[in-house]
Amino acid sequence: METIENNTQKAIPPQPAQRSLSKNQIAELEKVQSLTKIIYAQFKEHKAAVIGAYTIIFFVIVALSAPLLEKVLGVNSENQNVFHRYKAPFSTISAGIDTRETAVRNYIQENPEDAALVQTELLKEEFVASTRPEDALYDWSRYEKRKALAAVRYLDVNNKIKSDLRGIAKKFETFHVFGTDELGRDVLMRLIYGTRVSMGVGILVALSSALIGLLIGAIAGYYGGFIDSLLMRVTDALLSLPTIPVLIVVAAIDLQKLPFVNSIISTGGESILKLVFILCLFSWMPISRLVRGSILTLREREFILASKTLGASDFTIITRHMFPNVIAPLLVSVTLGVGESILFEAALSFLGLGIQPPTPSWGNMLFNAQELIYQAPFLAILPGLLILFVTISFNYVGDGLQDAIDPKTIRR
Amino acid sequence: MKNINILLVAVLLLSFSACTKKNKNPEPAPVPVAAATPEPPKLNNSEIKIGMIQEFETFNPLIANMAATSLMSKLVMRYLVTIDADGKWIPQLAKSIPSLESGSAKLVTVAGVKKIEAVWEILDNAVWGDGKPIICDDFAFAIKVASAATVSIAEKEVYTQVEKVTVDPLNPKKCTFLYDKAKWDFYQLGTFAPLPKHLEEKIFNMHGAETAGYEKNSLYVKEPYNVGLYNGPYLIQEIQLGDHVTFVQNPKWFGEPAKIKKIIFKLIPNTGTLEANLRSGTIDMISSMGFELDQALAFEKKVKAEVLPYTVLFQPSTTYEHIDLNLDNHALKDIKVRKALNYSINREELVNSLFEGKQAPAIHNITPKDAWYTDDPAKVTIYKYSPRDAERLLDEAGWKRGPDGIRTKAGKKLSFTLMTTAGNKTRELVQVYLQNGWKQIGIEVNSKNEPARVFFGETTKKRAFDSMALFAWVSSPESSPKSTFLSTNIPNAKNGYSGQNQMGWINKEVDKLCLALDLEFTHEKRIQIVHNILKYYTDEVPVLPLYYRSVMSVIPNQLKGFRLTGHQFPETNEVEKWNLE
Amino acid sequence: MLNFILRRIVQTLLVILILSYVCFGLMNLMPGDPVEMMISSNPKITAADVERLRSFYGLDQPMYKRYLSWAGDIVQGELGYSRTYRIPVTEMMGPALGHTFILSVASLVFSLIIAIPLGILCALKPNSKVDYVVNLFSFAGISVPSFWLGIVLIIIFAVNFQILPAGGYQTTGMAYETYWAEFLDKGKYLILPILSLSIQSIGRFSRFTRSSMLEAMRNDFIRTARAKGLTAQVVIWKHGFRNALIPLVTIVALSVSSIFSGALITESLFAYPGVGRLLYTSIMGNDFNVAMISFMISVTMVLLMNLAADLLYGVIDPRVSYK
Repeated sequence: METIENNTQKAIPPQPAQRSLSKNQIAELEKVQSLTKIIYAQFKEHKAAVIGAYTIIFFVIVALSAPLLEKVLGVNSENQNVFHRYKAPFSTISAGIDTRETAVRNYIQENPEDAALVQTELLKEEFVASTRPEDALYDWSRYEKRKALAAVRYLDVNNKIKSDLRGIAKKFETFHVFGTDELGRDVLMRLIYGTRVSMGVGILVALSSALIGLLIGAIAGYYGGFIDSLLMRVTDALLSLPTIPVLIVVAAIDLQKLPFVNSIISTGGESILKLVFILCLFSWMPISRLVRGSILTLREREFILASKTLGASDFTIITRHMFPNVIAPLLVSVTLGVGESILFEAALSFLGLGIQPPTPSWGNMLFNAQELIYQAPFLAILPGLLILFVTISFNYVGDGLQDAIDPKTIRR
Repeated sequence: MKNINILLVAVLLLSFSACTKKNKNPEPAPVPVAAATPEPPKLNNSEIKIGMIQEFETFNPLIANMAATSLMSKLVMRYLVTIDADGKWIPQLAKSIPSLESGSAKLVTVAGVKKIEAVWEILDNAVWGDGKPIICDDFAFAIKVASAATVSIAEKEVYTQVEKVTVDPLNPKKCTFLYDKAKWDFYQLGTFAPLPKHLEEKIFNMHGAETAGYEKNSLYVKEPYNVGLYNGPYLIQEIQLGDHVTFVQNPKWFGEPAKIKKIIFKLIPNTGTLEANLRSGTIDMISSMGFELDQALAFEKKVKAEVLPYTVLFQPSTTYEHIDLNLDNHALKDIKVRKALNYSINREELVNSLFEGKQAPAIHNITPKDAWYTDDPAKVTIYKYSPRDAERLLDEAGWKRGPDGIRTKAGKKLSFTLMTTAGNKTRELVQVYLQNGWKQIGIEVNSKNEPARVFFGETTKKRAFDSMALFAWVSSPESSPKSTFLSTNIPNAKNGYSGQNQMGWINKEVDKLCLALDLEFTHEKRIQIVHNILKYYTDEVPVLPLYYRSVMSVIPNQLKGFRLTGHQFPETNEVEKWNLE
Repeated sequence: MLNFILRRIVQTLLVILILSYVCFGLMNLMPGDPVEMMISSNPKITAADVERLRSFYGLDQPMYKRYLSWAGDIVQGELGYSRTYRIPVTEMMGPALGHTFILSVASLVFSLIIAIPLGILCALKPNSKVDYVVNLFSFAGISVPSFWLGIVLIIIFAVNFQILPAGGYQTTGMAYETYWAEFLDKGKYLILPILSLSIQSIGRFSRFTRSSMLEAMRNDFIRTARAKGLTAQVVIWKHGFRNALIPLVTIVALSVSSIFSGALITESLFAYPGVGRLLYTSIMGNDFNVAMISFMISVTMVLLMNLAADLLYGVIDPRVSYK
């Protein structure tokens, strides 16, 4: 077994203490390691990439568990509170009338007898001055949380009802870690839902453009000749378009004017689908070039010739023999592509053409925040920071993968 | 390494000096030479820099139609008459406004058609920037150009409404205008501009025959610094499209002398950086085309907190923010439902909490400073916020509350879709507020927003909205509402979607009143007619009034004589009164 | 070689033609035409006016007819009129192209000056502390959204510290006595936009320089050179860097092609009157002429630069030859 040393590293002196290795240890060392294991081991040595990978996993977990977090934190990402806009981080604000009334209405529906009891109690103790007894609970909900809780104490009802009422009163105030945005929504939850959208779009675009690029590159590389020329010209043509202006034009298109598209896409997810479609259209070119290059070199190798001689179909050759060799650099491209897609989505949403509000995405949160950067700077800084972190993480992971896969740096 | 770096730095320097070249402009007035030191901390009358957010174009008064150009053109171009900051029509180039009472205008009948004739006389000392007097022929020439089919003028009717101009042989500044129709607002020629015949006529004769030939070769495009093209208190010293325009005093200006020597309008297309530019001193004030309401409110707070040397001005305008109801919607056909919707909008709370009271609640489409305005409950129906009345009306109409709180009738939910322009924060706020308010009385309202170009270009134009459309009408004082009220103005495929009666309101009485309004020459009688129209409007509720928008501007504390107007003739109409000392 | 060039030129022209039709078609699908823009800013326009203006501008004709007439005009050298600004397109684009050129070239040069030495430094000391720090900054540079960075820079430098202007390209209304005064003044306005633009390129170039330099230094001939006793300077520059230069040159050539497409978002943010902003306003304002011309310029530049990069590659690296 030989060690491949780097020029600038000192040679490791032989260990005098150990004489020879036991049979087991030798067998262990000589066992062939699978490619994935090698890559994984290499990857772990690149510290920054590992940090990046952990960051991404953290964000993914947070994004996936968004509804759970909503329950735990007690705030809603869609709940607009128009009287408390642009609140600073770590502020507690009183909830809007609609939240309170919805909570009370749900309670009345689920426990009509208990509710009636509470109503008569409230009127008896003269905590509220309602004209109709049905309004008593609603009027009680208009109080501040403290007052409402105090009222509960003096009611002559059993403990279960009291704790129910306390639960409702808790909803009268909301605590916001990052404050509220321009419509009074909680910034933290919006950022979390935005993670779903932004990262989701990024990953989806990277994967689909990888697929498209793989397909086109493979066909062009394998068949060569006229098909290759044609496909490469198309790739070049699309590459030569100035990205952002064309993205703007395509994003601004009114899909209503294309009759067949109208029936497929519903207006709800329309902006997201449109964005993914547009970004895919412009991201597959570098990948197809990469794949084509690989396949061109692979095509001349003997094992391909052997497969052909054995009568394998083109499809089998491409998928079973060539693809596994292409996967490695493809993976690197995909991870780097995710970062790029996130940035593009942010840029388009910043111009007002990407994901349309109220669906939150980091880009359109920046767009909404740009007017008041001096009064509410955290609204503008936070999404930008998140974009920065996630994109750096993806880039580091891609870099780490690149180092891990590169055969010249593999050490056995 | 050192060699390459030195080489690169040298290349950088060379490319800089080679690429930049001085701007050449033929200026008649002396230009102050730039000092290398930064501007003085205190402002004085030598210069002021104003920021604005919208793009502008060349200054040909017939061709230009961008709002920003209109804002700036008042510095260099004055018209026969205009509306002042108090909302009154005053003469600018004319000596006085002709009227039937004074005898300077009279009704005539030509070939069986009722028309009106008015005598206009231009001020004796009114001259163009090169000293040539402004004469009636200049107006006649403008009409000739505007009527040509090869000129892409936007508002043709303003010019073609004057059929004939007869110049007094003794006085080239006095002439008689013969209008094509008899209408009471014949004197409202606020956008009727003269063209300098002595300069533009040969261009028009040479190029007028080809499509867009005149506007491409007009001196306003080819020689924008020619002083003879302008007649206002300022002249254009430098114009750079997409960036800025520099104005200097017009030595031949015949009105009140302007105090500020140089005015620069700078285009800053991004609202976020607009404020940054103000605070860093790149601009000294922000025009009425600058801040959004939220920004202005927040900036006002900052001014108070940090004692900055600025004043934030708010002025109610003639912009009417409202919700058009689609009267063909099955639920909205019932007048009780419409009234219930109107009763359940708490306008006071809306403007107080969202706008801090800076925009006033609306009761109908006429704004408070308009002479036609009335809030007399005897004349129009006022809807004070009363959820009780709203609920009662809905109950009477047969809509009962369902288990989820939303009212239903015959299995259908009382549910509407409120549409407006996307990306407009203020409107989104209003949407949410209204949604919550209506939910409390059991009406479900969903929002659906579209980009402005789609919303105005397709949805409202073709009445493709399901139930509610939220947007604003811009108008001027005392303007006829017939484009939005006449039943013949309901846009449909047959009439090519022209007309702005997007509610689909058909009321024969209102039709008659609108047509009668045009022909009513007595001010008081007109007010009567308008009040009658408003009675129908507020009774039948085809539209839900929301509030009247305000215009905003930020001026340095030193600036005196500045007044926002709130209508289509902006604050630059009085620019000669602005004073920084 | 000549054959190859000719073939590529023909292909390029074909691509330009097809792309122009596609762009034209795309712009037509956008809702709202220039007349709609007019209507929204002037409520008094009547329906008759709208019809008149539509036929005036030829907007009521089918798309292929309009495309053909536009293409015909272009070939004859008449680049058309900007519908929004009402002046010839060339007058509009001339100064804008100049401004963008200054900004892009300055930012490119600036980023190269900084990135190449940094990249080489990292390559010579891989995995050292310096390498990690520079890597971190490079990655940060690639990953930061440029508009966000621009806003942050404006907040810090223009508003809080007040040492740099917040936008524009010159102190408005100044007339300059000497070129030096002009240079100083305009330079002040260029600092923040260049910073905001270059940070991305610095990241990219330095990473690229580092990896290609590492590749070059791994070769055996480097070891030979060292063994021969040549000084470190000569080894690094004459043998290492020269070889690393080849792929670097192609990347730079490709970056040059983006000079004229402009940094749209940065220019809007800093109110810099360049081609990028012009393109954006003309697309949003449906000003076909300006938008199409800008597109065509960008596309042509990129294709030309691609061709130039390929040729340059052949010139620099004697191992590459073209049939």
